[in-house]
Amino acid sequence: MSSASELVVGSSRSLLAAKRHRTVRKNSRRIYSAYRDHQQGSSDEEGGDDKEVDSNDPEEMFQNIQYQKEIIANIRSRPWPMRRKLKVLKQAREIVLKYEGQLTRTRGYQTAGADLLKKLYRVLYNIVVTFIPWEVRIKKIESHFGSGVASYFIFLRWLFGINIVLTIMTGSFVVLPELLAGAPFGTTRSKTIPKEHLASAQDLDTIWSLGGYLQYSVLFYGYYGSVRKIGSAGYRLPLAYFLVGMAVFAYSFIILLRKMAKNSRLSLVSASDENFTFCWRVFCAWDYLIGNPEAAECKGAAIVNNIREAIVEEQEKKKDTSLAVLISLRILANILVLLSLAGSIYIIYFVVDRSQKLEQEKPELTLWEKNEVSVVVSLITMIAPSAFELVAQLEMYHPRTSLRFQLARVLVLYLGNLYSLIIALLDKVNSMSSTPHESSSNWTNTSSTISSLSAQVPRISVSEHRNSTMATISTAINFVHNRSSLVIAYNQTIPFEKNARSQQDQCWETYVGQEMLKLSIIDMIFTVASILLIDFIRGLVVRYLSDCCCWDLESKFPEYGEFKIAENVLHLIYNQGMIWMGAFFSPCLPAFNVLKLIGLMYLRSWAVLTCNVPHQQVFRASRSNNFYLAMLLFMLFLCMLPTIFAIVRYRPSEHCGPFSGQEKIYDIISDTVASDFPLWFSKVMSYVTSPVVVLPAVLLLFMLIYYLQAIARSLKFTNNQLRIQLQTERTEDKKKVFQMAAARLQTPEASADKNPDQQESDIPSHEASIHTSSSQQNGSVTNVQSPINHSDSIRTITQSASGADLNEGHVSESVRRPAVIVLPKHQVEPLPNRPRHFIGGQSGSCRSKSCHHMAYNPPSGLSNAIHTDPLYRKTIRSLHPVEAAGIIAAQNYGGRRGPTTRYVIVNEHRPRRKLLCSATRIPRHYLMEEPTEILELYPRNIKHYTPRTNPQHPPRSHTSQQLRKEEEETGKDRKRTSLGKSLRPCSLPDHHQQAHFYIGERLDSFRESQRARNEIQKDDEEEAGKEGVDWGDFNLPSPSQASIKEKVCFHTQRHPVHSPRRQHQSPTRSRHMGSQLKPKLRGQLETHLTESDSASIASSSDQQNSSTDQYIQVIHSKERHLGSDVRQEKVSKKKTKANFDINYTESNDLICSNV
Amino acid sequence: MGNKQTIFTAQQLDAYQDCTYFTRKEILRLFYRYRDLAPQLVPLDYTNHPDVKLPYELIGSMPELKDNPFRQRIAEVFSEDGEGNMTLDDFLDMFSVLSEMAPRDLKAYYAFKIYDFNDDDFICKSDLEKTLNKLTRNELTEDEVKMVCEKVIDEADLDNDGRLSLEDFQHMINRAPDFLSTFHIRI
Repeated sequence: MSSASELVVGSSRSLLAAKRHRTVRKNSRRIYSAYRDHQQGSSDEEGGDDKEVDSNDPEEMFQNIQYQKEIIANIRSRPWPMRRKLKVLKQAREIVLKYEGQLTRTRGYQTAGADLLKKLYRVLYNIVVTFIPWEVRIKKIESHFGSGVASYFIFLRWLFGINIVLTIMTGSFVVLPELLAGAPFGTTRSKTIPKEHLASAQDLDTIWSLGGYLQYSVLFYGYYGSVRKIGSAGYRLPLAYFLVGMAVFAYSFIILLRKMAKNSRLSLVSASDENFTFCWRVFCAWDYLIGNPEAAECKGAAIVNNIREAIVEEQEKKKDTSLAVLISLRILANILVLLSLAGSIYIIYFVVDRSQKLEQEKPELTLWEKNEVSVVVSLITMIAPSAFELVAQLEMYHPRTSLRFQLARVLVLYLGNLYSLIIALLDKVNSMSSTPHESSSNWTNTSSTISSLSAQVPRISVSEHRNSTMATISTAINFVHNRSSLVIAYNQTIPFEKNARSQQDQCWETYVGQEMLKLSIIDMIFTVASILLIDFIRGLVVRYLSDCCCWDLESKFPEYGEFKIAENVLHLIYNQGMIWMGAFFSPCLPAFNVLKLIGLMYLRSWAVLTCNVPHQQVFRASRSNNFYLAMLLFMLFLCMLPTIFAIVRYRPSEHCGPFSGQEKIYDIISDTVASDFPLWFSKVMSYVTSPVVVLPAVLLLFMLIYYLQAIARSLKFTNNQLRIQLQTERTEDKKKVFQMAAARLQTPEASADKNPDQQESDIPSHEASIHTSSSQQNGSVTNVQSPINHSDSIRTITQSASGADLNEGHVSESVRRPAVIVLPKHQVEPLPNRPRHFIGGQSGSCRSKSCHHMAYNPPSGLSNAIHTDPLYRKTIRSLHPVEAAGIIAAQNYGGRRGPTTRYVIVNEHRPRRKLLCSATRIPRHYLMEEPTEILELYPRNIKHYTPRTNPQHPPRSHTSQQLRKEEEETGKDRKRTSLGKSLRPCSLPDHHQQAHFYIGERLDSFRESQRARNEIQKDDEEEAGKEGVDWGDFNLPSPSQASIKEKVCFHTQRHPVHSPRRQHQSPTRSRHMGSQLKPKLRGQLETHLTESDSASIASSSDQQNSSTDQYIQVIHSKERHLGSDVRQEKVSKKKTKANFDINYTESNDLICSNV
Repeated sequence: MGNKQTIFTAQQLDAYQDCTYFTRKEILRLFYRYRDLAPQLVPLDYTNHPDVKLPYELIGSMPELKDNPFRQRIAEVFSEDGEGNMTLDDFLDMFSVLSEMAPRDLKAYYAFKIYDFNDDDFICKSDLEKTLNKLTRNELTEDEVKMVCEKVIDEADLDNDGRLSLEDFQHMINRAPDFLSTFHIRI
């Protein structure tokens, strides 16, 4: 019993191994060898044999060592119990130790180095992993709210990472150098607070509006000095400022695109088409890492949530509503959304405009007036999404689509806000950067006139009433005239002061930076407020007031706040957009954003865990991760545009910032190139930037893009093709299932009145005919087919004729392979039911050859019997995707129907190409062949055989048999030469004896190996099935080789060596059994002989029992022949065979017990 | 080093290292973990392969496993006697497979065995139901369970035999993005 269970386990294991082998075989030699190692494990003797052979063949030895090493290297990836792994490992080690020569030293170093690297990498990785922030927090949230909500936090964390990098970039290359080496605060005009502002510089009010000290600090563009080189090291701050500004964008782009590529790769892996949502939710749901009860609880809840989600989603698919209403509703909704968008944009523009006007009109602005813009913008960003959500309910989209729509709309809204804001700002900037010149020039004019006027006061005063033309002058004159000259002086200083202030105020870059920072701050405040008010307070109210309220607060109106993933993610994106927009003008913005994100992380996670409920229908946001990223990318691009525009379009401020005095900000690059680089470099640069280079480069880029796109398209196309193929395969499968069911229904009926082995449905017979025709085309023995057609009337004759043909074929083709090819055709003939049915002798003629093949085939069949159909299919698929559809069909047949398989057997011996030529699906059948079929075949063969064999010496009076005899006698010699490929007529006792004799001999010669193998015997058994399968895949020609052992060169052909062994395995098992049951067996055989002599196939009554026996006998005889021939002729070959045989004998024990 | 030598011989350690995904140190740590489960049972000297088995009750009480709904199955699958009673070898085996270094195929194979409750080499509906009920602690209604089972089989059953073979399972699990990260016990 234990052995039986062992077998089951083994088979499953081998299933896995075989499967693994197949899937990865193509590209991984490692696995391949692993597979080989399986074999080795099972037949260590092969290793042992190798050893013997190796001694004189260093190449082989080396290979063997390699194999063993691969065993050692891969043993850990075997699904074996440890005990077994240890054993195999020990053996492999011993072998390696024994034969490993000097060549391994360098290799040892190599592996040691690789190990070290691996370890280092692992340690580093572990360290890195521990530094990932908020892992626990996110896990906790995940377990509460599922992957969707967690995805928000993961996204937040990712943004946090980006911002940290940005902060480091700006901090280390711009802010720190400026602080350390730049001119200290107060030394230059751009770094000093104007006196008149000094008093109010520390006021909260000023600070709040980012004026005063804050304005004149590293926070903003204006503070940075324009000295080309600062510090003793000559740090080029302006250049660094510009480069970092650009690098911020470049880095963001790169990191974003990389992330997107990775995501899309992942989503490709989980191909959109293959939908395993439920499977994954069930089988991959549990996180085995979870190690505390609370988390487990959460995870359980999350899984339930997840599965429900999937169910809901599934049900959503089935919903349906009337189209017309829906469409009109959707149109309405879109109109509403558009209106609100336009409204929000108008409001923002209006507010900015108003604030500008106010600034101009009023000297003192109230707090509201100062912050009007950012407050309005923040309010809109807060309120509009909810409005959109309401609108979205009109549309009745699938929740996921509506989520997408919602996201897109909110994104557009945010973008509109930012853009209208920045455009309004740039408007202002425009006026700012243009007015200073005029005003200053105006002022200089006026001042000069004033001074000149003051000098000419008396004169003018005299002529005052006469000259009252120019208003300005007259006022000045009035001033001068009415007040003293002191007043004039005062008048002069005031304008100067004013002018200085306006100059500094005119630092539009700082202004933009201030606005962005202000916006960011206000946004943060609003976020916090909304979380506290809308979520927290609401949660409190709902929880504690629900008792004293007339309706249920928790389920009706206020409810608990839901966590809206989409809006929140978008808010993050929006926030990041502001940062990108302002980063150039306010280098500390990323740093501020880092702080903001940290705060947001804690606040949000706290809020989520305390006062939010999971969204009722949480949809996998992780899938739309790339959607978020795409939006972020979009945002980045759009936020970069204004900055770039400002850089390119506007002149930098005259008196502040690192670029003051330059015509354009980017001039810093060309200046640097011109002044700080060698001459040749600037020359090269000028060449490179000339249209001659740039245009072709752009062209090249376009070409590249086009090419890549074409490739992508073609890949997509092939992808689709493959997918379609897979689908058809699957549908084909389903069809097969139905057919199979039909076949099952048929077979019982057939078996009722026919012999069990002759249950052939119509389809197989058709196939048989197909086969014959195809074989005809192949053409080595064309005349064989015609007999089949006549079969009913002249069956015996035709058969014998075919047999003769066969022999002739042999004669003509001294080489065996052709003969093998011929054989199949003959086999086809006996297969049709009717002929065999009626005339027993008929099949016999062919059998001489066919049985031989059978002898080889059964192993695969037997071993396969353990396996399930799917496996086969898979192997086939993996091997021959092209044929797949047909193959599957064939398999299905094969699985249940014996008859067809026979034909396949025939085909098996042919080269692949021919299989393809012949009826497409049939080739696979052999794989599915059931052992019973084989057994059934054998009996007949034997039956007829033995009679035949006997007749040979004492001829009998049977026309057909005589014919056969003749054939055999003629063919005998050739067959002999062909190493007893066909079963030589021999008396049964002889078979037995000889077989045994051989076994003994082999055992002696290979005792060592046997001993070794005994240990792994079980393993062998387990693997037998698997190997059989594999063998079936790639050893098609091997049967022939086995039969033509002369050709089998053990040294050179490794596969053949394996395969024959496999083939023999089951036969030998049975043979072994046969030897045990010898007396009884013989008796049975005798009876069968008599029966067969009477030429009745109807011996069927005990056929199944007897069949196995006979089958065994056949094998014996075959082996005997092999043995005898080999022994007499080639000792070395004997050895190889002996090897196989030993294997069989070893393995037999278990099998016998099973039987 | 000397201390370690007394527990395992160098060869043993080497062999374990080859057979698992652990380093020497981890193996020793695992040994101590194993021993800590039952100090009176497990000897400190493993050089002569003592035949010691810890009962499932002890194995299942490890913090790494005790919250796992499949702990019993895990122990059963990895124990050689199929009852959940584990030798040190089994123990190492288990955590080797569940370590993060183990390849996907290996993990998938054992995952299949774990989910195959009745050991018939197929995941059939009853297995699925058990899996689901363990996973969700019976929180799903019967209809929901039924529906999910149907969907699962519908999705993953490639040969339409109404149950999942190892092939089906691997096909499905190999495409799961988070299988590797979740089928993993850090020890």
